[in-house]
Amino acid sequence: MIKISNLNKEFLQGQEKTQVLKGVDLDVREGEFVAIMGPSGSGKSTLLQLLGGLDIPTKGDILINQSYLNNMTEKERTIFRRKYIGFIFQNYQLLPTLTVEENIAFPLHADGNLTKERNQQILELLDSVGLNGLGRKRANLLSGGQQQRVAIARALVNNPSVLLADEPTGNLDRNKAEEILGLISRFNRENNQTIIMVTHDIFAAGFADRIILFKDGVIDQVISRKDDDYAEYVANFMA
Amino acid sequence: MLNMWRISWRNITKNKKRFFISLLGIILGISFVTSMLVADKTTNDVFNYYEQMYVANADYWILSDKHTLSEDSVSSVSTSSAVMETLLALDKQAFFELEGDKSLNQRSVRITGVNDQNSPLLKLPVIEGSLDNEGLVIPEVVANLLNKKVGDTIRFADLGEAKVSAIVEYTQLLASPSDWEGAESTSFRVMAPLDLLREWTGMDNELSYLRFQTNEDGQQLFQSLQKEFLHSNVYVQPVVADDQQSNDIGGLYTFFYLIAGLSMFISGFIVFNMIYTSVMERKKEFAIMKSFGYLQSSVSRLIFIDVILLALIGTAIGVPIGIWLGDMFMQTLLSVFEFDMVYTLNWKIPALTAVVIGILFPVVFSLFPIYNAGKTSVLLTLKKANQTHSSTRQHIIRAIVGVGLLSFVFIDHPVSYLAILASIILLFPLLLLGLSRIFKPILKIVFGYSGNMAARNLTQQLNRNANTSAILAVGIAVILLLSAVIETAPEGYENEIRNTYGGDLRVTSEAPWSNEDIATLRSYESVSNVEPFTEAKPITWETIDGKKRQFSIFAVDKEGPTLFEDPERDELYKELKKEPSILLGKRAFDEWGGDVGGYIHINAPSGVQQLKVIEVVNTSHYSGYVAFMDESYLNNEFGWANSFDMLLTLNDGYTGEQLRDQLWQDFSKHLSKVETVEEAIKSTTSALSGMNELILTMLVLIVGLASIGTANTLLMNTLERNSEIGTMRALGFTKQQVRKMIIGEGLLIGLSGVIGGIASGMILVYVTSQSKLLGGFISFQIPLGNIILALIAGVSLSLFASWISSTTASKINIISSLKEG
Repeated sequence: MIKISNLNKEFLQGQEKTQVLKGVDLDVREGEFVAIMGPSGSGKSTLLQLLGGLDIPTKGDILINQSYLNNMTEKERTIFRRKYIGFIFQNYQLLPTLTVEENIAFPLHADGNLTKERNQQILELLDSVGLNGLGRKRANLLSGGQQQRVAIARALVNNPSVLLADEPTGNLDRNKAEEILGLISRFNRENNQTIIMVTHDIFAAGFADRIILFKDGVIDQVISRKDDDYAEYVANFMA
Repeated sequence: MLNMWRISWRNITKNKKRFFISLLGIILGISFVTSMLVADKTTNDVFNYYEQMYVANADYWILSDKHTLSEDSVSSVSTSSAVMETLLALDKQAFFELEGDKSLNQRSVRITGVNDQNSPLLKLPVIEGSLDNEGLVIPEVVANLLNKKVGDTIRFADLGEAKVSAIVEYTQLLASPSDWEGAESTSFRVMAPLDLLREWTGMDNELSYLRFQTNEDGQQLFQSLQKEFLHSNVYVQPVVADDQQSNDIGGLYTFFYLIAGLSMFISGFIVFNMIYTSVMERKKEFAIMKSFGYLQSSVSRLIFIDVILLALIGTAIGVPIGIWLGDMFMQTLLSVFEFDMVYTLNWKIPALTAVVIGILFPVVFSLFPIYNAGKTSVLLTLKKANQTHSSTRQHIIRAIVGVGLLSFVFIDHPVSYLAILASIILLFPLLLLGLSRIFKPILKIVFGYSGNMAARNLTQQLNRNANTSAILAVGIAVILLLSAVIETAPEGYENEIRNTYGGDLRVTSEAPWSNEDIATLRSYESVSNVEPFTEAKPITWETIDGKKRQFSIFAVDKEGPTLFEDPERDELYKELKKEPSILLGKRAFDEWGGDVGGYIHINAPSGVQQLKVIEVVNTSHYSGYVAFMDESYLNNEFGWANSFDMLLTLNDGYTGEQLRDQLWQDFSKHLSKVETVEEAIKSTTSALSGMNELILTMLVLIVGLASIGTANTLLMNTLERNSEIGTMRALGFTKQQVRKMIIGEGLLIGLSGVIGGIASGMILVYVTSQSKLLGGFISFQIPLGNIILALIAGVSLSLFASWISSTTASKINIISSLKEG
């Protein structure tokens, strides 16, 4: 499903080059829920941005659904993102002038693909994220948890094969976070969507099938939830 | 450079495009103002220069109401101890002897014979040759038209010939037409030695006038001469520098200052937008500064320095451009005049004034953001809780005040114009909302979902977007009003001229018309009526402030020709007969400065008189710089008995053109001018048609300036929505879709501005057409050509402006913009 080979990313800060990713190799299976963890500056968010086609690698390949993202033009990457990738952001990134329904429908509008059936699908999505009846409300008038639910619905509306989540519960309290993570893993199970989630929160990472620990731009460790020493290792790593 | 200035420089140039656009707005605004100040000052200088040239060093002159006076009758002047210099002059109408088929009226020339061409009472700006008192002095335009150089001979029919000894620049004394078309109605003027002219004409002891310069006893001499000439045809007048009868440039400048003010207003709005947005962006910075102990005044001072720096750069660039524009403007303006005038650009004082304005106006327009920066709340800002959005209540209040001000449409007062313009600005948020709803489906068709988003985004910064649109609308409305005035003014002038000209043809003689002449005129088949037209000139008078002025006084009578308009005209004729009184034309009244019922001091041929001003009237004669007096009073008590002009009314089917040649043939000995009413209309309105082109240029410039405002606003909207645009891009909006969205927003702002501007312009034109203050001078007319130009310029320049912002929006970095959110 996703194959990352020898992925490198350099940033130029003034005269100085900073290498954020240093030859990362990673395979993610279809329908897998992967959590990426690591200290700040370890390269996890950069990896997510490269996977979403928001940026291009300095070197290396990203293969998603048999397409090399690194060979695409800017426009091709945008269209690819629109079709195959859903984004969930830490601060929701809802469009304040649009209603809840319109926010959710935005990727369909961008695609020029809003049909009656899709409208029905939006209502169903609203229902499934627990926002029934709030569709016509301005998105910025909702609570944080509700806004993140809208963001999840928006990420799912195109039925993308990959869902990228950047600290989706970073702004929420534990109860709200649990609800959101429950939703994400439910969609992962029900729709067999591949999910890659960046998080600092070990509790959030606990919902993933696999945790990839980043350190200084390289994968330091990969742990499966099924491993016996999973919890202890992660706790030590984060400490 | 002080550290603070360096910080300010960094701040204002942080966003290069915004800095450039704002600076361009200031530069354009200040250069418009500079150009108007320079042109106004230079124009004043030009007219002063020519006035002074006309007056020279002369203090008084002695004239006759019978065309000539005998030299003997004024011999006492030359010998008076109070007189320092004298100049004797004799005017004689003649005809050039030319090869080719030029008509008599085209060949008509007035020769002024003077006893000394080098007299200090004459100022002749010599271009070529010398003032040798032997040959002719001719203006450059005559030399060019006749193809004559110094040393060439000019012949005059039935008189003689003389060599050209000097060619001079334009001077009022020798004002001549510059082409043969102009020569149809205006005589050429040349100067000859007095002795030579007397030799040719045999008018040995005759003079047209005598000018003299006096010492400190001049006033005494003037009074004694007035007494001496009391019961004669000779009269004495002070020489006064006042050419307002021949130019009405002041009214024109009111127009241009209005446009300059408008451009400064638009520039000010651009500055306000930039500084306000900059303050909003830096709120966090200010909050942190305040948390470390910075005072409100220290924070405000930071923004104040930003504004001053921006103003200094704008002024430094705008003022020189303005001086150059002023030069261009002067060239265009003076080319409109019939005569070939020269000018020296007077830029120093205007430039200094412009520098002061250039520095002050950005500060004035930025006062609110400067204050707002200082008032930054530390806690609210750090919590990001002070982002204010205008409430519905504010919009409602704004709309109610707007509608209230719009009711000034029904009030006939100059303040109504300001009230209407203010109401347009206040009502614009509503108008923008309405128009964006109307245009939303069209935008959706043209730009897809981007068009839909464009219409929605406008509501996000409704006040700012509406103000941007409103500024464009105000610019278009004012220019449309001006162009409607310019377009319909010829019609108004034509009506006024036809109503007050007094006939179809005015024939002027250098000598009073005899009864025999009048009988000949009446005998023409084409002529239905002949009326003497008595014009006493030059008559000097005093304004309320004691300044000396000069105009003509016309004789009027109930039975005579109609020379002024007034609903109570018959009553006024009666009033004029009752007591020594006068009617003043509008411009003369304004210059006088008194009130109806007050008394004006006039130097009559029979001495100083105090006359009651009984009314202000409209007249086309000398654009209203004139007075009217009862005919019998003018002839007797005032002391002006003769008529040098006749007003001819033609039978139906005849034109003045047909009669012109016959008049020149029959009265060639003393006829000096034949003017038809059509020529009078043409000479008044031709300058206006030239003005229309200037107005069109102004329209495009104002729309261009307003579009800079649109670009600025869109740029700020874009910068403020960085995070949103980043989100859209992350969710699959392509760069092209973002670009279309911003262009859609710009198009809506521009289109709303144009539509609002056209509608407001029509309201202003309607109000003007209904105004009793203007006496129905302007009719309601839709300036269709200018509307189309406004539409094309408004839409295309708005598209260009939005394209500039759209490129910025489409290039934003998705990752960093997402972090901002």
